[in-house]
Order: sequence, then C-alpha cells, then structure tokens
Amino acid sequence: MIEVKSLKKSFGKVTALNGLTFSAPEGQITGLLGPNGAGKTTCLRTIYGLLKADTGEALIDGVDANVDPLEVRRKIGIFPDKFGLYERLTAREQIAYFATLHGLDGESGDAAVQQVISRLDMGAIADRRATGFSQGQRMKVALAQAIVHRPKHLILDEPSRGLDVMSTRILRDLLRELRDQGTSILFSSHVMQEVAALCDQVVVVAAGKVAAQGTPTELCQQTGEEALEEAFVKIIGTDEGIAA
Amino acid sequence: MKSPIKIVFGKELKDALRDKRSVMAAMSYAFFGPLLMAVAFYVLISQLTDTSDVKINIEGAEHAPAFVAHLNTQGVVQREEDWPAGQQPITLAISPEWAENVATAQPARVTLTADFSSQKQRTDLRRVERAVETYTAQLSYIRLQMRGIDPKITQGVNLVKHDTATKGSKAAILLGSVLIFILLSVFFSGMNVAIDISAGERERNSLELLLSQPLTTHQLVWGKALAASAFAMFGGVLSAVLIPFIFKLLPLHEIGISIALAWPMILLIMALLIPLALLATALQLFVSFRAKSFKEAQTYISLLLMAPMLVVFGVEFARVKNQILYYLPLTGQHQALLDIIKGESLQWGAMAVSAVATVVLSMLLLRLISRMLSSEKVVFGL
Repeated sequence: MIEVKSLKKSFGKVTALNGLTFSAPEGQITGLLGPNGAGKTTCLRTIYGLLKADTGEALIDGVDANVDPLEVRRKIGIFPDKFGLYERLTAREQIAYFATLHGLDGESGDAAVQQVISRLDMGAIADRRATGFSQGQRMKVALAQAIVHRPKHLILDEPSRGLDVMSTRILRDLLRELRDQGTSILFSSHVMQEVAALCDQVVVVAAGKVAAQGTPTELCQQTGEEALEEAFVKIIGTDEGIAA
Repeated sequence: MKSPIKIVFGKELKDALRDKRSVMAAMSYAFFGPLLMAVAFYVLISQLTDTSDVKINIEGAEHAPAFVAHLNTQGVVQREEDWPAGQQPITLAISPEWAENVATAQPARVTLTADFSSQKQRTDLRRVERAVETYTAQLSYIRLQMRGIDPKITQGVNLVKHDTATKGSKAAILLGSVLIFILLSVFFSGMNVAIDISAGERERNSLELLLSQPLTTHQLVWGKALAASAFAMFGGVLSAVLIPFIFKLLPLHEIGISIALAWPMILLIMALLIPLALLATALQLFVSFRAKSFKEAQTYISLLLMAPMLVVFGVEFARVKNQILYYLPLTGQHQALLDIIKGESLQWGAMAVSAVATVVLSMLLLRLISRMLSSEKVVFGL
C-alpha cells in the first residue's frame, strides 16, 4: 500500500506539490496522470525519499521514507525518470548488482537474476555489455533491475516513453502479471491510451493537486465525455502537455 | 548478506578495470613520470661530466703564445667551425700590448665577450674564466717571487673546504624531484576512475536509481572511494617499484651519487602512500560529485591537482624546514620519503601522526560527500 498524504513541496518560488493526497492499494495499478510539470516526478521522488516534502508524508506500508529511507527502499522497486546503464557491464551483471544491493547474493541471487532474465525474455542479451543496446533492451534491463528482488511495491516513472509496440506490450503484460500477484503498482504517464488500457485507478494531477480520481470509466462519466482524453482535458481545464 | 560497501567496491572495480582509458591512465602516469625523470637525469649527468674541449674564438693569439698554450692545456681551444644558429659566439680578445704589459708587470687586458645570461654556455664560460684565473695566479706568483716576496703573502685567508654532504644527501637534491613523481602518481592514477564513478554516474543518468537503493549514501561513498583508491594505489605501487630500477640504469656514480633503496624501504614507501591514496580519492570525489558531466569534473580536478603539486614543489624548492611539515597530510609523507631516500633516521612517530591525520581528513571529506549526496539540492542540481 502506497499512501500519499497532503504532500507539499516547493522549489524556491515554484510550487511543485500543493497538498497531494492519494493511495495505491495492493493488487491494483494506479496511474498518475498529468500534464508535463504537474508534479508527477516530484511526487514519486518524494515517495522513495530522494526529495523531502515540506509538509505531509508519503508512506509505504506505513513507513515514511523521510524517517526510514532504507526500510522503504527495501520494499519498493523503482523504474526511475532517467535510467542509465553501466556500459561496461553485461545486462546480467547490472541486474545482479541491484539484486545484491537488495540482499540477494550467492545462489538465491543468481536464481533471482536468471528468473527475471527469462521472464523478460532477455536471454540473448543477458551476457552482452550494455554498449549498443537499443532503447527497448535498455528498458528491459531497467525493468529487470526494478523487479529482481520481487518488491511488494513498484513505482514507474513514465515507463513507456520511447518504446516500440512490442516493448510496450511486454511492459503491460508484466505489470498485469505483477498486479495479479498482489503488487501495488504506481506509475506516472501522460499517455492516454496506456492509462486507459492498463489502470485500475487513475489519479489526475494538475498543478501539484489531485484534480480527479477514479477508474477510467468513472472519470468519463463524471465529465460526461466518451473518451478519457476529453475527460482529462475537461478536468485539468487546458489541453497543454498531453500526448494522445 | 554482503556489506553494501563491498558490493559497491566490487562492482566499481570490475567496471573500472574494463575501462581501458582508466587503466591506461593509471599505468601511464606511474610509468612516464619516472621515465621522464630518468631522461632528464641522463642529460644532466652527461652535461655535468662533459670533458670535451670548450671551443671559442681567440683573437690576437699571436700576441701571447704562452697564454694560449695554457688555455689549450685547460681545454679552451680556438674554434675552427661556425657557431650554431641562435648561439652567441664566445670571444676572448688578447690586446696587442700583452707582451709589453707582462714585461712591465702591468695587468694585461683580455676581453671576454659573450652572452652571460645563456644557460647553455654557462659551464663553457665558467671554464674559460677559470683557465684565465689560473694563469693570472701563476703570473702573480712568478712576479712576487722575482721580487723576493713570499707569494703566500697574498693569501690572507686559507679557506679549507670540508664537504660533509654524504653521497646520500647530495642525491636527495636530485631525488626530491623523483619523490614528487611518486607522490603525485597517487593523485593522477585514480583520477579517471574517481571521475567516472561520480560525475560519470550523473552523466549517464544512473545516479538517481543508485541513490534510491537500500544502502546509505555513506556506504555508497565508501565503496566508491575504496575502488578509486585501489586504482590510485596501483599507480603509486607501480612508480615506487619502477624508480629503483631506473636509478640502477643511470650512471649516477659518475657524479658521485649512490642510492641504495632496499626492498623494505620500498615497502615502507608504499605503506606511506596508502593513506595518501585515500585522501587523493576523497578530494577528487568531493569535487567531481558536484560536477554534472565528465568534462566538467575533469576541469575541476585538473585545477584541484594544482594544489598537491604546489604544496610539494613549494616545500621542495623553497626548502621549507619546519617540524610541523612532518605531521600534516601530504607534506608528512613527502618529508618521510625524503628521509628514506637520504638514508636519514626515520621519525616513526611523525610518520604515524601524519598517516592518521591523512586518514582522518579523508574520512571527514567522505562524510561530507555522503551528506552532500543526501541533499536534494546537490543530487538534482536544484
């Protein structure tokens, strides 16, 4: 369970989060939908404790990342805003690095790494160095790093940007599978179809606040629109920063 | 469960060893430094022991055949060939009144025309002057004797020189510059790795994810610092091992210098370098974790490298002598290395103090870096 309670955060004069409150329960995919600059990344970074909220709190299973960041980070898998690979390491070594940091070493570590490699169908690239990987291959490595320790919570920051159809499908299938296993998944996006196709619950964020919340269908009903995109525009009151 | 420090250390070391640029950098600084020194020494020694004739223009030689003969015995001879381009000729002009002056016991005029600021011709000029001086001495000796005066009367003071410089301490003057290379090899060798694991991490966008893992920034920084220090130490060990070999190759005995560095002493030098390697890395990480890219970090670090160079060169060339130098980081190791090479008695206590001071300073710096990495301002460059 990921809970965000009246988070406020400003950088100088810019208010990034202005009393954001929502929760992402277990066994559900929660989409954080908002235009560019709505505060999505700031919110996610606050949840895993890289940013400190001015007021309010972000809890993972009741633990605040500002109070006990290591405990929180043990419980989550992260697919960050920017992911860079270590070009001189092989895919397997990168995944193993993050697995050991989560305490999975020795045989159980190797097994966990092998399992995630098979799950993501990365056998062909597992023992190649990351130099020359395509965007989709890089995404798979980053995804594998995020889930190798089987976290109960998975946080993804715009995971589908720059991916082709096949890679997007792999990602969606994986997220559905993990949801069915009881993982609470929170991901940010500004891509409508993706949110509509995947999310059990949508939290629309605008100007650092929750503008609306509910299933995609509920959002459409609330606004009296057919398509989620139209509903979204109506909710935030402008069509700025949306990718169809 | 493995300690996070060990995990980070292992990963960074593996990563760095696969980076040919880092390995080459670590090797080349350690390698070319001493080699450069060797070449410089070789030239210096061959200049110092040069016994070939000094060839100059002698004008009016016909006026003073005895004087010219004396000059020739001293290795100052008439030049037959042209002066090389860019070199001012050295001309010794004997006045036509030579014979008359000598006969009437007047000072005979000899004019030496040359560029006295020329570094290259300095030893040549000195030899010409000395040859003239010895002839003057002979001449006055004879003049006094002919007048029935004991020539010793002109010697007011008899300066007897006792050279107490041991061969080792003479060597130290030369070796000071070699030491600088050993000390600096520690700063140069780990540099590439230090930049790659800090600014490089930011440049390839992997810093955010790494900082979101279940390990403290303190553990992260120590793991990285130890990996880069290992590289710095690799360079230090390499140059410490190489330098005695280079001394063996040089004809140092020709200028009366002997250096015998026994293996225990080399091991001691390496031990002294260990805390210094940690300090060098800590300083480099401190600077380059603030940089946004590899390039930016390189700029900062090359400025930073000036600091140890200035300190060591400053102490070396200004000949600063103060006991406090023995206790401080960097200068402490420098002084200890000097003592080792000079073959003087070693100040074990001071060595330990400076080693501890160095480690403490490094630890403080590393703590500062981990504080920095916990700050969102530094991490996201806000």
